[in-house]
Amino acid sequence: MNAFVETAMLVVGFLLIIAGCYGLIRTYHLLKIVIGVEVAMKAVTMFIVLAGFINGKAALAQTFVITVIVIEVVVAVVAVGIAINLYNNYGSMDVRNLKKLKG
Amino acid sequence: MEAVVYICLGLMFIFGVLAVMFRSILKSAIALAVASAMLGIIMYVLGSVWAAIFEISVCSGLITVIFISAISLSNTDKQDLAKLYEDKERMAFLPTVLIISGVTLLLVVTSPAFSLPAAVPVAEAADTLRETLWIHRQVDIWGQAMVIITGALTVVALFKERE
Repeated sequence: MNAFVETAMLVVGFLLIIAGCYGLIRTYHLLKIVIGVEVAMKAVTMFIVLAGFINGKAALAQTFVITVIVIEVVVAVVAVGIAINLYNNYGSMDVRNLKKLKG
Repeated sequence: MEAVVYICLGLMFIFGVLAVMFRSILKSAIALAVASAMLGIIMYVLGSVWAAIFEISVCSGLITVIFISAISLSNTDKQDLAKLYEDKERMAFLPTVLIISGVTLLLVVTSPAFSLPAAVPVAEAADTLRETLWIHRQVDIWGQAMVIITGALTVVALFKERE
């Protein structure tokens, strides 16, 4: 595999991180915020695999990817739980409603 | 094999951006699942087979199911959503931002000062993943187990029925 493929992966990864962060800061819907985080994390996962491929340490990279995937799932599950709780309390998943919570 | 990586990379980028841009959360979740599947194929081609299996089964499958469950539990009208979030107007600048960033990144990577190191051939045995995971990163495995238990307990607390 030539260096051009690796460079293309690097550029696409950075663009996905930018897209994810843009979605993160420009929306108020909690589920869409989580989707923005997930998109950025896809790029990070790809970078870890690419680093493992370049260094010849694919096994170590895979263990890190598995860790990232576990964290990704827990973040998604907890965020969805908070979103549903928010919907049950306020009738929408707008994160601005979180300001109204006690505490 | 390079053609497969190019195609999957392109599809992953398109569906990743669509996942952010779609106003409908259902379409966003499905676009995210397709992007995950494309990433899984790229991982497989790059030799990270187990990570690819995890990516496709967990990220492309389980997370999509979680999102669709959340969507089915809430039934906000589309009109109300449009009024509340105005995502279409908010996301209108995303293509412009991506084009500017893409051109800037292309200028950086095509400059003579930029170069990636050449890929080293994989010199590890097939069972090294198991050794790395269970021997060298054993502490992290316990940490991951704790994170999963914490997540499960949090969900139980969040979904607890009020008395």
